[in-house]
Amino acid sequence: MAERSFHHEIQSLRLGDGQTFRGEGILAVTKALLQSGISYVGGYQGAPVSHLMDVLVEAEDLLSELGIHIEACTNEAGAAAMLGASIAYPIRGAVTWKSVVGTNVASDALSNLASPGVIGGAMIIIGEDYGDGASVIQERSHAFAMKSSIWLLDPRPNLPSIVAMVEKGFELSEASNSPVMLDLRIKACHVTGSFVTSDNRPAAARSGPAAFDYGRLSHPPSTFAHEIAKAEDRMPRARRFIAEHRLNELFDGDLAEIGIVVQGGLYNSLMRALMRVGLADALGNSRVPVYCLNVTYPLVPEEVVAFCTSRRAVLMVEEGCPDYIEQALGQILRKAGLPTGLFGKGCLPQAGEYTSDVLVEGLAAFLEQVGPAGFDPVHARKVADEIAGRRKAAAGLLEAELPGRQPGFCTGCPERPVFAALKLAQKEVGATHVSADIGCHSFGTLPPFSMGNSILGFGMSLASAAAVGPHIGRRPVAVMGDGGFWHNGAITGVAGTLYNRGDGVLVILQNGYTSATGQQFMPSSIAEGRRPETPMNIEATLKVMGVKWLRTVRSYSVGAMKSALAEAMAGTGKGLRVIIADGECQLARQRRVKVEDSAKLKAGERVVRVRYGVDDEICSGDHSCIRLSGCPSLTIKPNPDPLRDDPVASVINSCVGCGLCGEVAHAAVLCPSFWRAEVIQNPNRLDLWLESWRRRVRTWLSGRVAA
Amino acid sequence: MSASNKPISIVIAAMGGEGGGVLTDWLVEAANAEGLAVQSTSVPGVAQRTGATTYYIEIFPVPLAQLNGAAPILALAPSVGDVDLVVATELMEAARTVSRGYATPERTRLIASTHRVYAIDEKAAMGDGRADSEALRRTIEAGTHARLLFDMEQAAKQAGCIVNSVLLGAIAGSGVLPIPAETFEAGITAAGKAVDSNLRGFRAGLAAARGEVPAPAAAPHKRPHAESAAALPLVARAHAELPEPAQAMAAEGVRRLVAYQDQRYAALYLERLGLIWTAERDTGGDGTLTRNVARHLAVRMSFEDVIRVAQLKTDPARFDRIRAEAGAAAGQPVVVTDFLKPGIEEVCSLLPGIVARPILALARRRGWIDRVHVGRKVTSSGAAGFATLWLMARLKGWRRHGHRFGEEQRAIELWLESIRRALGCSVELAVEVAECARLVKGYGETWRRGEGNFRRIHQAVIVPAVTGLWPPAFALDAIVNARAAALADPEGRGLERTLEAMAKRAT
Repeated sequence: MAERSFHHEIQSLRLGDGQTFRGEGILAVTKALLQSGISYVGGYQGAPVSHLMDVLVEAEDLLSELGIHIEACTNEAGAAAMLGASIAYPIRGAVTWKSVVGTNVASDALSNLASPGVIGGAMIIIGEDYGDGASVIQERSHAFAMKSSIWLLDPRPNLPSIVAMVEKGFELSEASNSPVMLDLRIKACHVTGSFVTSDNRPAAARSGPAAFDYGRLSHPPSTFAHEIAKAEDRMPRARRFIAEHRLNELFDGDLAEIGIVVQGGLYNSLMRALMRVGLADALGNSRVPVYCLNVTYPLVPEEVVAFCTSRRAVLMVEEGCPDYIEQALGQILRKAGLPTGLFGKGCLPQAGEYTSDVLVEGLAAFLEQVGPAGFDPVHARKVADEIAGRRKAAAGLLEAELPGRQPGFCTGCPERPVFAALKLAQKEVGATHVSADIGCHSFGTLPPFSMGNSILGFGMSLASAAAVGPHIGRRPVAVMGDGGFWHNGAITGVAGTLYNRGDGVLVILQNGYTSATGQQFMPSSIAEGRRPETPMNIEATLKVMGVKWLRTVRSYSVGAMKSALAEAMAGTGKGLRVIIADGECQLARQRRVKVEDSAKLKAGERVVRVRYGVDDEICSGDHSCIRLSGCPSLTIKPNPDPLRDDPVASVINSCVGCGLCGEVAHAAVLCPSFWRAEVIQNPNRLDLWLESWRRRVRTWLSGRVAA
Repeated sequence: MSASNKPISIVIAAMGGEGGGVLTDWLVEAANAEGLAVQSTSVPGVAQRTGATTYYIEIFPVPLAQLNGAAPILALAPSVGDVDLVVATELMEAARTVSRGYATPERTRLIASTHRVYAIDEKAAMGDGRADSEALRRTIEAGTHARLLFDMEQAAKQAGCIVNSVLLGAIAGSGVLPIPAETFEAGITAAGKAVDSNLRGFRAGLAAARGEVPAPAAAPHKRPHAESAAALPLVARAHAELPEPAQAMAAEGVRRLVAYQDQRYAALYLERLGLIWTAERDTGGDGTLTRNVARHLAVRMSFEDVIRVAQLKTDPARFDRIRAEAGAAAGQPVVVTDFLKPGIEEVCSLLPGIVARPILALARRRGWIDRVHVGRKVTSSGAAGFATLWLMARLKGWRRHGHRFGEEQRAIELWLESIRRALGCSVELAVEVAECARLVKGYGETWRRGEGNFRRIHQAVIVPAVTGLWPPAFALDAIVNARAAALADPEGRGLERTLEAMAKRAT
């Protein structure tokens, strides 16, 4: 089970004709898939599309009722390859992942999928992790669509539009024998709203194996025919379908000599910007004609020409770079011999998210250059300047720069102590190159640890250190999560290093889940509730692969971890050294333990609650402990000592008693101010007797002190 | 277009685990219940861990029923100067949101809790890295039209809920939304999770919004030293011999040192202070310097050694404090474990110098200092553990004969001497020299670092400063900067750079 329970959402997946679905965009997509009669679904979790898989994995009963096969793929390549089913069989399927990174991983399978094309609707739902809140490289998935002839859907960010584009997308895919991508930006995935549902459709009826057809293999000479078919047959059919079914929308306005072409996903931001400059109302009535591209690839030249003819100038609102659509637009206008002026990047910034603030500035620049009859650009300029002025003034209100609030390890996270140990080990045997990876542990690159010389992709840390060791003349340390290990680190990293007789240290953080994306299960998860068969075992896998130097250390044992690391880093001999840092994700653990403990307490059973704390008189306010921990529950408070002012360390109630404070204080020889308290709930006789005897001794001795 | 036809926009600045998502859902549900068009978005991403998380909500004030089929186009992100309500679960995030320009002094109402959740940089600073809450409040005041600010965490604690339901009540009572309080209460009840505590929190927030703002809990955080018969005469002497500004501090110092060592030691403290006061008075000082020295001198003289730690760990009041902090109910036994790891230095500090010095010299040569320790986890609530610590505390009589005691006294005299000489230049300079005592604190490596930094600053800055080699203003800056630099980073790079720069400018 993932971090969040989707019980409520699963109910709404069962809604039928004429009922109303309320919820998040990504869950609306999930419902739309069921309404589209898919036969299979798969994907690899990642913000912002994790919930799609989470909810379906929980909805296994519903899926089996509908006869839908689901796979929690081990990486995006696997997910993309699943779509291969629609090459030979007329069945619909959908897969999902985080883009652009996931699309990168999937691209081999995608090319081989798009070349022969599909006979059953094949849809890829990509969470476009772009702009505010994004956690990956800022690139466009658009390039993949273009190079592989995969049609790119970019619906307006409201639930009815998104759902409609999912359903139409499958039809488009089948009408043009091409896979389609549904591009959803972060905020569109999390946007809430409602739409009127229709009944779910069961999966396609079973069929026998497909007949052999060499033409469907992405293998020469078929590939040459495929390329021609893409350009001369599938693309035209796709354009016809897009035009006939009006997938792109036209919103007319009275300022007829100008127009705006916008990516569907940016429509709401554009309308807000138009409203702010006085060119639209809140109900979507715009004075400027707007051509909204719910399909951003391919463009339909006839539609573009129809929209631009008779207009003096159009503004292309296209987020991200390079400006693929604007370039295509220019080419279409040129070939059609239209004099329409084309504006876009230039009025708008080359890169970065297009918020309504950015768009207001862009509109002002556009209107000033075009000066349409019936509207004085001064209004727009005034609003734009107000925004700029306001931003400046607001920033000026701060008397001192505010410290950042970066994400960090959760309270009690088993990965924190490993970085504390790594910090201490480097102090002992000297600093080395640390190659970081994707996952919660990438927080190790942030304060207070600030470690890591590179991040090269999911599961890539070990591979990315291959050429470093020889260069710096000492063993680099690669940090990798168990999620990354199964995603591809086992092959790209471990197999690669062993095969090349590499020399280096690999630390695998085994917490049992892909935690950063919401604690989904992965091949070596052992938590109860997951599929029953015995999980794969990382340690066993490494042994079989031929790793000689292999240690499994409890994550919280900072001392042991520190010496293991020191030995791995500085020990004699050559070859890959792997340390498995073993500690279950604390978020997941707490969710389990809390329930168990409260049950025990109710039943009157003995429960020991562990809590750490600081003697505020002994703490000298140096905060070394915090620099080695950064635990959210280890914080500071005013100094109670009448003679001292620096704030002292303090442990707050969110402490889950993981023990790191004590371990660090011990391993780093910091100071003696930490204490560990075991509160014995529902104590037994022995506990009580011991307690009273201990209290008597203490009072007796203390009494003598006073005397 | 008329304002009533503009969406009402709400920004919620929260942090992972503060229930910002639930708060958002409550608002969305309430708007739905009222038949209003509503849309919310969030940008959790990895910030669902401990980073800042922003939620954005738009509600269209005209009921959908009255829009004859039209649907408002709602934005997915806040716009600069275009937000009606800013909600923050913590003071600094409130100020941050204001500083981003979402709020405006003409229009925006702000609802935020005044408690602080410190950012990692504030916590990790070697001295005091906390942002100035008053400055944050000034930013908020200047950037918003109306505000409701109070410690909602406190209110939440009393209600037995988390801060989000208190915020919801405050929002409901703010009058920004065309939604009656009853609708929100109904929503909380319908959600069916922790209904009672959430309703209590909600009502607390509602009451605050309607003017019944709970008074800030003004518990004094300072814990004065216990009065003792042995200290009384010396406290009296402090009042008699020292200037008014210094008396309270000196009294605390006396009580501390009597408990730490004995009356004789506390008397020495007063003699040392007396000399400082005489010198200050002669240069026309008002006792400010003496007050500061009284503070630092008491701390320096009660340097942390194993005996001191044992004294504090066996303080009877300590176990009550721990029980309270760990939230142990009456009748629940509490087992307390302490993490002690005395090293060669700690042990030697109790041996006579003649024995200790050669051992320490050897240990330093061999690099044992950092490595050789007697790691012990003591069950200090247990009979044996407590007795051990109790016996250790009894060694305080022996402390005087220990190696460290002499060392510390020498260091203290050196420091006092330079304060007196600084007085020759100016009281301000003397105050800054006195302040440098802040650097020497802690245990093991922390203490070595601080003590080393102090020595370097003494040689490189204090000595030339107090001997009048430098112009007064430069000397003053030099000391202030050096002290700040020493507290900038544990590796001492900052101090390195500052001292080099200073040396250049001085020549």
